[in-house]
Amino acid sequence: MKINRRNFVALGAAGAASLAMPSIGRAQGAAPSFMSFTYAEDPNRPFVQAVLDGFKTSSGISVEVIGSAWGDTQRNILLRQRSRTLPTTAQIQDRWLPAMASMPEIVDLEAVFGKAGVDAMVDPAIAGMGRVGGKTIGLPIISGSIGMFANMEVLAKAGVSSIPTSLAEFRTALLAVRDKVPNSVPYGMATKNPGSVPLDVLLLVWAHGGRMIDESGKVLVKSDSGRAAMEFMAGLMRDRLVAPEIDRPDARRLFGQGNCAFYIDAPQARSFGRSFSGRGEAFDPVVMPMKMPVANAGIKPASIEWGHLVSMFATGPVAKDSPGARWVEYLMSDAVQTSFPLKLSALPGSKAGRAAPAVQSDAYLRNLVASAGTGMKHEIGVWSNSPELSTILTEETQAALLGQKNAGAAVDAMQSRMEQSMARRG
Amino acid sequence: MTQVTGNAAAGGELPAPPRVSAAARWGGLKAGERRVGLLFLAPALIAFATVIAWPFLKALGYAFTRYDLQTPVPRFIGLDNFRMILSTPEILGSFITTGIYVGLATGFTVLLGFAWAMILNQPFRGRGAVRAMSLIPWVLPSTVTAFVWGWIFNSRFGVLNALLLELGVIEFPTAWLSTSQGAMAAVVVTKVWLSIPLFMTFFLAGLQSLDREQIEAARVDGAGNWPVLRDHVLPHLRPVLLVVIVLGVIGNLQHFDTIYALTGGGPVRATAVLSIEVYRRAFDQWDTGLASAIGLLWVATILPAAAYYLRHLLRGV
Repeated sequence: MKINRRNFVALGAAGAASLAMPSIGRAQGAAPSFMSFTYAEDPNRPFVQAVLDGFKTSSGISVEVIGSAWGDTQRNILLRQRSRTLPTTAQIQDRWLPAMASMPEIVDLEAVFGKAGVDAMVDPAIAGMGRVGGKTIGLPIISGSIGMFANMEVLAKAGVSSIPTSLAEFRTALLAVRDKVPNSVPYGMATKNPGSVPLDVLLLVWAHGGRMIDESGKVLVKSDSGRAAMEFMAGLMRDRLVAPEIDRPDARRLFGQGNCAFYIDAPQARSFGRSFSGRGEAFDPVVMPMKMPVANAGIKPASIEWGHLVSMFATGPVAKDSPGARWVEYLMSDAVQTSFPLKLSALPGSKAGRAAPAVQSDAYLRNLVASAGTGMKHEIGVWSNSPELSTILTEETQAALLGQKNAGAAVDAMQSRMEQSMARRG
Repeated sequence: MTQVTGNAAAGGELPAPPRVSAAARWGGLKAGERRVGLLFLAPALIAFATVIAWPFLKALGYAFTRYDLQTPVPRFIGLDNFRMILSTPEILGSFITTGIYVGLATGFTVLLGFAWAMILNQPFRGRGAVRAMSLIPWVLPSTVTAFVWGWIFNSRFGVLNALLLELGVIEFPTAWLSTSQGAMAAVVVTKVWLSIPLFMTFFLAGLQSLDREQIEAARVDGAGNWPVLRDHVLPHLRPVLLVVIVLGVIGNLQHFDTIYALTGGGPVRATAVLSIEVYRRAFDQWDTGLASAIGLLWVATILPAAAYYLRHLLRGV
């Protein structure tokens, strides 16, 4: 073919049209898409795949699954919003919801299923998890709490015979592990990533009787309890009872490989232990959910409310029988809720799922519920400026851990920077 | 009345008049060629406009707006973002961190790249192979380089700790990436290792155009290594040196990937150079307005070096 200007323009137009075709196909909504971080985790991918296969068998609809690492998912969703390529549905961490609630595309699921429909699906005990600003923008697929886990084999090696209940006992146990289990990190405290550090810090501040930010948005970390918690953490670092450069995935591996006695995690700790130990279910007795040790007997052990939710995105009204809505409904169905959460070692999100005999008879889940103590909201994650608050908390904690600031100065700086952030938030 | 001449008058077939192209009809052949030239230039121009110019102009606009998670639609706030930068010590610290990083990375790369070029300019057996192998760091993807160095510096499994523990230099593993100085040293070493091949190539090309007879004459006159270097080699390499320094400064001011992969800007903010600061503000904290304002100032730091380089380049043409 002779290339002249007319042909050149024609070829360009044909190319542009061919590029546009797939997105038009997508816009017509043939198959719903589902962004999932559990799917991106090697040990857990088969469980998500089983759910996808089950939905295809029961409905004839294929779901396009988009794997996205946990740490990247919130970013990917917000980037996709700006490029107008949001998935139909996504798996969301509960504490991301407040920051995502301002997205115009996030669907109020009560408008799709009706209030009665949502109430019928979700266990009332955790119904508030997906509600922000009077709208239900997520339904909990799995739930539970974030708390501390003990590795019973490591404790036995260190000669620690009972689970510590006070911070003094906890510290003594850590010293024993450091001295008797070579090359171990006694407490796999997250010290590196702003996505992980706040959980450890929050639980330790509460364990000292303090608060980070109250329900009205007032920053409260600058207190004797806050300083004591920071001093406690800095002391752990000085005595090599925690290590720098540790993120949650590192702690999970260390725990599974017998190089860590304690760490903080969501209920899936058992599943990660099974995978990283290479021992499967034989590892189950090693993973022991425990109450958070506290500074004195007057302080109640606490845990952080936790869940993975499914949210929907659309630019217009969503019909209840649309493929995306049917997929969301399927995730909350008995077929999924009585099996999928158990595989992830978590509690179901639905009423029926929580009442299922398999859940009720699971000793690990029973221990998990018993050790949860007072379930607290994530005091950083509930605010729409939580990414900035997490960064501030992490930077000031690191400064104290690395000896760049003393505990008091780090807490003072954390207080003032968080107050500025909250004021800017308005 | 039209006058009929030639073959037509004789009743023969008229030859078809020479076809004048549309381009020739529309402003002449030269103009037509120019238009074809522009047509071929169009893909590059479109790419530049959509990938660089348009986002830059958008960021320029966002720098004067509040555009974050609480404000999904950008709202004009004048110079507030710039006031915020001036009143936030953490952000101002990023400019200082960037200066330290650029100074160290550029300085060491120039020094070591030059030294390596001097060695590779000497005749020795296997020189070709060594020259080829010297390019490996440049060829490797920078994230791979970052992970290799991350493994070397790792506190638990790192080669460096293993070596120092074996030699008895340290008693416990050291978390190199968890101290301010260690983290800065690590990101500088990684970048220097990555950049030496490019700088070495520039210097080697310059050295190969050096007049050997001039050096030999100096040697005959009794000049030692230092006088030869000072009075002959360095003056000859001056233009190369300037270009290399300017390119190094520009490259290091823009650098992001290995720093992000190695330290993420930490610990605390020890390696939070401007590229990391912009990324964290934009994609971790979703404060696009503030990130754009910092980005604008970041571009302003690059502009003098870029202007100098372009001037030098255009003069050479």
